[in-house]
Amino acid sequence: MAKGADKNKKSAASLFFEALGKGFKEIGVTFVEGDIKTKLSYIIFGLGPILRGQILIGIALLLCEVLFFYFMAGFGWQYLSKFSTLGTIATKKVGRKTVYGDNSFLILLFGVLCIFAIIAFVAIWYINVRENRKEELLLKAGKKLPSNKDVFLSLFDKNFHKTLLALPVTGIFVFTVLPIVFMILVAFTNYDKNHQSPSNLFTWVGLENFKNLVSFSGAGIGGTFVQVLLWTLVWALFATFTNYFLGLAVAMLINKKGIKFKKLWRTILVLTIAVPQFVSLLYVMKMFANDGLINGYLIKWGIIKNYIPFWTDPMLARITIIVVNIWIGIPYMMLIATGLLMNIPEDLYESARIDGANPWQMFRSITLPYMLFVTGPFLLTQFTGNLNNFNVIYLLTQGKPQSVNLAEKAGYSDLLITWLYKMTVNDTNYRMAAVIGIMVFVVTAVISLVVYNMLPSVKDEEGFQ
Amino acid sequence: MKSYKTKRAIGNAIGYIILILISIIWLFPFVGLVLQSFRSYATEYGGMVDYLVPKHFSLDNYKFLFDSSQTNYLLWYKNTIIIAVFVSLFQTIIQLCVSYALSRMRFAGRTFLMRFWLILGMFPGFLTMICLYFLLKQFGLTQAGAIPGLILVSVASCGMGYYVCKGYFDTIPKALDEAAMIDGATRSRIFFTMIIPMSKPIIIYTALVAFMAPWCDYVFASYVAFGHDTSYNVAVGMTRWVWTNDYQGYFTRFCAGGVLVAIPVTLLFMFLQKYYVEGVTGGAVKG
Amino acid sequence: MKKKLVSVLMTAAMGATLLAGCGAQEAAQTAQETAETVAETATEVAETAQDAAEAVEEITDYGTGDIKVWVADNVVDFTNEQIKAFQDAHPEFSGYTFTVEAVGEGDAAGNMITDVEAGADIYAFAQDQIARLVTAGALEVVEDSNAEAVKAQNDAGAVGAATVGGTLYAYPLTSDNGYFLYYDKSVVTDPSTLEGIIADCEAAGKNFYFEINSGWYQTAFFFGTGAELTYDTDDSGNFTKCNSTYASDAGVVALKKIAEVASSKSFQNGSAVSNATNCGAIVDGTWDAQAAKDMFGDNYACAKLPTFEGADGKTYQMSGFGGFKLLGVKPQEDDLKLAVCDALAAFLSSEEVQLARYNAVGWGPSNLNAQKSDAVQADEALSALADQLQYTIPQGQYPGDYWSLATSLGDSVISGEIKADSSDEDFMKALTDFQTTCESYAQ
Repeated sequence: MAKGADKNKKSAASLFFEALGKGFKEIGVTFVEGDIKTKLSYIIFGLGPILRGQILIGIALLLCEVLFFYFMAGFGWQYLSKFSTLGTIATKKVGRKTVYGDNSFLILLFGVLCIFAIIAFVAIWYINVRENRKEELLLKAGKKLPSNKDVFLSLFDKNFHKTLLALPVTGIFVFTVLPIVFMILVAFTNYDKNHQSPSNLFTWVGLENFKNLVSFSGAGIGGTFVQVLLWTLVWALFATFTNYFLGLAVAMLINKKGIKFKKLWRTILVLTIAVPQFVSLLYVMKMFANDGLINGYLIKWGIIKNYIPFWTDPMLARITIIVVNIWIGIPYMMLIATGLLMNIPEDLYESARIDGANPWQMFRSITLPYMLFVTGPFLLTQFTGNLNNFNVIYLLTQGKPQSVNLAEKAGYSDLLITWLYKMTVNDTNYRMAAVIGIMVFVVTAVISLVVYNMLPSVKDEEGFQ
Repeated sequence: MKSYKTKRAIGNAIGYIILILISIIWLFPFVGLVLQSFRSYATEYGGMVDYLVPKHFSLDNYKFLFDSSQTNYLLWYKNTIIIAVFVSLFQTIIQLCVSYALSRMRFAGRTFLMRFWLILGMFPGFLTMICLYFLLKQFGLTQAGAIPGLILVSVASCGMGYYVCKGYFDTIPKALDEAAMIDGATRSRIFFTMIIPMSKPIIIYTALVAFMAPWCDYVFASYVAFGHDTSYNVAVGMTRWVWTNDYQGYFTRFCAGGVLVAIPVTLLFMFLQKYYVEGVTGGAVKG
Repeated sequence: MKKKLVSVLMTAAMGATLLAGCGAQEAAQTAQETAETVAETATEVAETAQDAAEAVEEITDYGTGDIKVWVADNVVDFTNEQIKAFQDAHPEFSGYTFTVEAVGEGDAAGNMITDVEAGADIYAFAQDQIARLVTAGALEVVEDSNAEAVKAQNDAGAVGAATVGGTLYAYPLTSDNGYFLYYDKSVVTDPSTLEGIIADCEAAGKNFYFEINSGWYQTAFFFGTGAELTYDTDDSGNFTKCNSTYASDAGVVALKKIAEVASSKSFQNGSAVSNATNCGAIVDGTWDAQAAKDMFGDNYACAKLPTFEGADGKTYQMSGFGGFKLLGVKPQEDDLKLAVCDALAAFLSSEEVQLARYNAVGWGPSNLNAQKSDAVQADEALSALADQLQYTIPQGQYPGDYWSLATSLGDSVISGEIKADSSDEDFMKALTDFQTTCESYAQ
């Protein structure tokens, strides 16, 4: 985790502008002081390095420029040029055949890609200028430029990180950053089931969707949003802490002196981690159904007269979900706690025992503080993970029961994330899903930030890297 | 002294009782699953029933799964294994690379990168599904090409999950690197000949976690492979048996399929449990 | 070209190791030949073929002359056989290859809408999805000569279901998407009244299944008491008007009855035999006939829906929707391919194939002649359905939001938010909200 990420926030903006100013100055100075090779490099990337014998760097830069123009001319421009309207040519019929017009979806998607390409282009241009400057200064100082072989070999030594990170960073960029930016932009369009590409166009609508989110009257979904958000928070809180403490308790029980077959007990519990959730949770869902195994046997044995509506009663559904989640979560926590408990020095307990402390006191004054201290960040990630815990909710209830009191098909056990999923997949209501998604991000980010600063272990382990 | 002993015996007895109860609760669904999978399809109804022990035991459901003229189950199973193996392989490699770079090297933009990824991780992934789908489609990696597509998407974004692995690398003393560098070793040499051989537990942990994930992937896999039976994975293929009305009486078959899915993952998990524990414990402490 | 370019560029950018787009290239090569073979109607063969080649390259990843068909899993084999017969009868379409995929009627619409381009060219779907599909541009208008034949040969309800505004958008496949009662003879002695059925089930400790949280099944009560809910649509699938009388005394009687049924200890919400346990009676459709036979064994029986006694003392016959399965053709960018699709869709919904489908899997035909055949007439489940159909209204077009709203209403009853002993005002309020929301779906 990026420790102290927020601490530098304040200075980040001013730092950024400082750097920007310095950058511009450098560009100017380089141009004024540079020779003809450098000046030409402002238009033809990498020309300077090539002429100075730095073939490898020069070619790489030139290749980037060529690729950029090839990309923009052959592919990007047709999308980017329509970016402001997201397309105007409607789909029409010629005879019986369909002639598709502009595809707003692709215009938006590749428009974003083009904008990124332009930013990257500018960045490479700047790198190109700096490279020229660096070379010139080196030559002026009478030093030799590194040979091509050295440059290449540095990719495995001094610049090894570039080699290591090239692929992961591009991968994350294309398959994570680009889609996220795209979906954020969708929140400002009217992309929904009535405006579906390729047959229909969609366009920018400004903040309309956000207004809908905070509108509490009529068709607005404000009330439902608050309801779902509250349950999401309550769920995350319960899911995290019930698992944490019960898992800890089970771990301590198994670790207890005198308990035999420790490995067996652990293995039994761990089975829930190993069996894929779509199998175990779907089975558990059926087990608790109104006409399922549990109700069936309880009625057969005469313990209850009417079935218990585990999934169909709003309150009971929520409780059942939390209980089932304990079933899933305890083993995981148990494993972690087992490892950590062994790290607590035995003599601490020994001296406490001599002082006459009972087990409960020992737990409160030794075990718990230690565990909380060590697992603080873990608890936080668990909490944010639970905010977005899709599998448990969706496989068990799919967010049901729904209600006439909730808008947009939300159910009483829906988390923001499952609600969002249903909007996307069942309703193709992408615009509201995007808005909800942004809200999920805001909630997660705010909670992380606030809690993170409160964690004792963060302050004490600042130097930890 | 005697009272202390009896007290302890009672404590242990209570402990055993609780543990046995817990074991029953934890095992019950799996026992149910296995029992249902042996419920005869021919003489009893294959749908849901409200009793646990089948009236007739048979292997009908398993025979059905292995009969490729009736179902593509074996193909789905194969697909899932392929996805799991490749994802596991590539993901481990990429996470090792990222972790090494972030743990051992200091370069401009390093903290920015880590913060940026942390923030990215807070966006809900489903949001990007539709976008990823159309991106993959541009490469022809949906429907018929869904398997490489799914591998690509899982691998492409996995760099962000470097925490556990980096945490492990952080615990390897830097003095080792420095000593090696004085001896003239390059960074890549240190990485390949020193760090990697020392990281067996974390490599196994990363690979194991990556291997297990595709078995559960229903959401994105169903989105990418829709309408193409032969590129489904087990989760997509089998949840249809439970969730859609086209498949009447498939419940016992679902259970049988579930048992078969659980076997390899469980076995692997049992054998490598030690490393898993090491990984999660380390990961938990490092956050 | 476009596609290749993206692949090349992005691949280069990503380090050139990723598996780049395959499949699309071969498509372009075969396009030309295939297009030519089918071009019997085209006058300017060369030009059209060229167009076709270009157009088709964009619409599918699988190459020209590839027609994808989506049907439910249990008719995949049947459909393959029929397509084989179709190909034998039409040698002029030999350039086309047909692939049949198992995508259920429920999933088809959702998948089509996600990505029309990658969706099937011909697909079966349940009629409640039709308006949504038309809006999303996933359904082509039925060709004129076929439309006439469809209208002449199928029952009026089926034609109505396939019509949006004044335009026929799909080919009716079955006319059996209605529901009626399956019951266990040894449990239910008299299936003619709802109260009797529930009492019998309660006495025997068996479950009575009725999916009250489905907008489709719910109407059995509402339409039974005379409440109405229909929508008017225009040609492009937009809802223009909602005609609803749910917020009325009739509606209150119906909702009250629903709540009363839900309060029975034998009541279970559901309509799928495969998910039913300990079942005494279930309201379900013909598609579950075989499963119901398996489940009830010798005690298998079916009947039209029962009557029920309302809170106002009157007796009502349960009504509901008569529904249909439809076959749709996706809009095509190529006239020739569209012609092939039209021909295949017409064939798959023709009298012979409908009858053959009945014989193979028991789906009740929508074709009038096929309905008259002896085998269909003698079918137990289908005759129960036929008995019921006289009390139902053919299902018109409903917005997708209606179905989930109805689910919410049903869930509210099941979860006890709306109770059987609530006051009439509470019922009226719920129904007024319901009706207002329904009306808000029409623009």
